Amino acid sequence: MGNLLEHMGIERDRLHFSWISSAEATKFVDVVKEISEKVRALGPNKKLVKDYN
Amino acid sequence: MDTCIKKIRELSAELLEKGEVQKVIGFAQGTIPMATSPIAIESKQDTEKLVFNSTCGLNLANYASKQKGKVAIIAKGCDSRNIVTHIVENQIQRDQIYIIGVPCTGMVDKSKIATLFEDEITGFTEDGNTLRVTSSSREEILKKQDYLRENCLYCTHKNPILYDVLATELVEEQMLEKPFPDVDRIEALDTDAKWQHFENLTKNCIRCYACRNACPLCYCPTCFVDEAGPQWVGKGQNKTDVNTFHYLRAFHCAGRCTDCGACVEACPMGINVRDFTRKLNKDALELFGWEAGLDITKRPPLDAYSPEDPDDFIK
Amino acid sequence: MADNDTKIVSFLCNWCSYGAADLAGVSRMEYPADIRVIRIPCTGRMSPKFILSAFREGADAVWVSG
Repeated sequence: MGNLLEHMGIERDRLHFSWISSAEATKFVDVVKEISEKVRALGPNKKLVKDYN
Repeated sequence: MDTCIKKIRELSAELLEKGEVQKVIGFAQGTIPMATSPIAIESKQDTEKLVFNSTCGLNLANYASKQKGKVAIIAKGCDSRNIVTHIVENQIQRDQIYIIGVPCTGMVDKSKIATLFEDEITGFTEDGNTLRVTSSSREEILKKQDYLRENCLYCTHKNPILYDVLATELVEEQMLEKPFPDVDRIEALDTDAKWQHFENLTKNCIRCYACRNACPLCYCPTCFVDEAGPQWVGKGQNKTDVNTFHYLRAFHCAGRCTDCGACVEACPMGINVRDFTRKLNKDALELFGWEAGLDITKRPPLDAYSPEDPDDFIK
Repeated sequence: MADNDTKIVSFLCNWCSYGAADLAGVSRMEYPADIRVIRIPCTGRMSPKFILSAFREGADAVWVSG
């Protein structure tokens, strides 16, 4: 799915997958920080958003 | 090609007469030149209606399942691969179907031929590699090779994979150095240009779902676009909805699409629907070494787990 | 973009990442408040529909974690 969305022109860093065990709270925090940083760098998503107006 | 039609008719007549099959699914001449339509034949006399030429672009595997009794089906290379997929996915049993394999030399791109003429095409005949197309004002002699559909141009499985009997002799398969030049072209674009490319592609889509209906993979009793609770996709012409439909439909075909081109053939707006599925075909080949419908004993890659599956996208 | 404007829709498996999120909370660890957590019974419940739906409704990113 990531590959397809990238092919369609959605930035790669907008879709993340990870594997965290329930004991890995520190990994969880690290991953959230990493993802959040990457997404903030990309800015808000305008593509594929439905305009209800 | 004429001997091929004769052979198909003979085989069909024999099968129906012996009562081995209840129906033969094949192509019949359409009402206008360069058009054929799927037909189900139930009696020996009707076998005269069967034809096979370079305009049989639809995929008959679509009609193979959900039939009562045993059916015979005319299958090109891609049709047979879709039949294999149907058998693997338990849509049909192997013993319910009798496959008349037809090695295929490619189907012609009707819209490309139509652009040569200002007026309506009134006649179409072919002889080997030569096409004779006539309109009310003039006649053109064309080489079939120059007017093949794009998917037939890149086709590496012209011969049926699975068959009970062959209508003509097997043809030589081509080996391609770069099987996905069209995908490579899009991949070379930057993110926004890619987005724009697909935006332009779906601009004309009228959401008629002809691509979905022509596709042998799309056999879900209720398609996700028709689901109302929750409603995944709006029903209007909103461009996000149109895109969502195409993305998700393409993803449902991941690792299953045989690039038969039926979706493009069926599209009334001339959209190259294959642009969506081709990328997934390329990924299936590169990541899983998989081409759909080649082996009746193997599950498709997204349907099976193997420790060797690539997992570098997971953190 | 203001810090609190980013929306990352996170699909977390009940038994793995949701547990990790819980543990992080109990341990009073700090992390960015950009994620909006959706608990799913298992990552096997995930579907491409969910991802597209999230984007359609205005998510800036989607995170699937098992």
